[in-house]
Amino acid sequence: MARINEDGQWIVLMGLLTALALFFLALIINQSALVGQTTAEGVLEFPKNDIRDLRSEIFDYVDRLGTLNFDSDAVREDITRISLERKNAVVGFTVGDPQDVSGRMLRPITIHYNNGVTEYDETVYY
Amino acid sequence: MVNDRGQLYTMEGVAAGVIMLLTAYIVISTTSVYTAGDTHIPDMQLEQLGSDVLAMMDTPDNREEEENRLARFIDEHEGTEFKTMFLGYCNAKTSGATDNLHMSANVTYRDGNLIKEHQFIAPDYTWTERESAVRVTRWVQLDLKAGRSPYGARPQAVLLEVLLWRA
Repeated sequence: MARINEDGQWIVLMGLLTALALFFLALIINQSALVGQTTAEGVLEFPKNDIRDLRSEIFDYVDRLGTLNFDSDAVREDITRISLERKNAVVGFTVGDPQDVSGRMLRPITIHYNNGVTEYDETVYY
Repeated sequence: MVNDRGQLYTMEGVAAGVIMLLTAYIVISTTSVYTAGDTHIPDMQLEQLGSDVLAMMDTPDNREEEENRLARFIDEHEGTEFKTMFLGYCNAKTSGATDNLHMSANVTYRDGNLIKEHQFIAPDYTWTERESAVRVTRWVQLDLKAGRSPYGARPQAVLLEVLLWRA
């Protein structure tokens, strides 16, 4: 065991630290490849457009209340049953009588949406 | 004058070279992160595009115009016109080649206790049933119209579903 001594311990220690740092960098790069996938899947999964479309449809429905031949119960059944059949979403909404909100007569509307993953409830005056 | 002294220095030099190359590679490759191809990012963009186009077509051009174009297309069975306008809006770009988009559409309606589907636009020749198509939907309110087929004459809400894919 000739020529073994304690020189160069700092170099060995720094080498160890560099190896550890490289290991963590590799871990981070490895994880970053998944970010695009999870983001896109999250956006596709979240029914943002469905909910916004449902809201505007319910406002359309309220606009038509009281017009000629408009059967509100039948249209409500259209919306809830087609939602269940084609979008796997439980949808319910109620429309109240107009009440005074800051000097304007607005109807209170409650909207309920649940597709098993995302649940959305809203009360809005329209 | 060739001899075998200094071999350890040579190997150290080679090792140092490899370490430097590796470091340069790691530093350069961290500036860009490659994601796998099948990450649904184009699907996400396509779905948003289709949704926006449907929302635009569901909006009357001005305040006086009562009916919107989606309801008229469905009322009058103008599938071809709808397709032309829809794909035209999808390709509304300032420059560059037109995107190779294709579509089909169904209208879902309620008939008594049954939920029925009516094919509004049939898929074209590019349809192989293996597309990674996205589905975008829009509610449409139809007004009273006598003799409307197959949805029935009553005022009702129907669901327009568009399948959109690149070929």
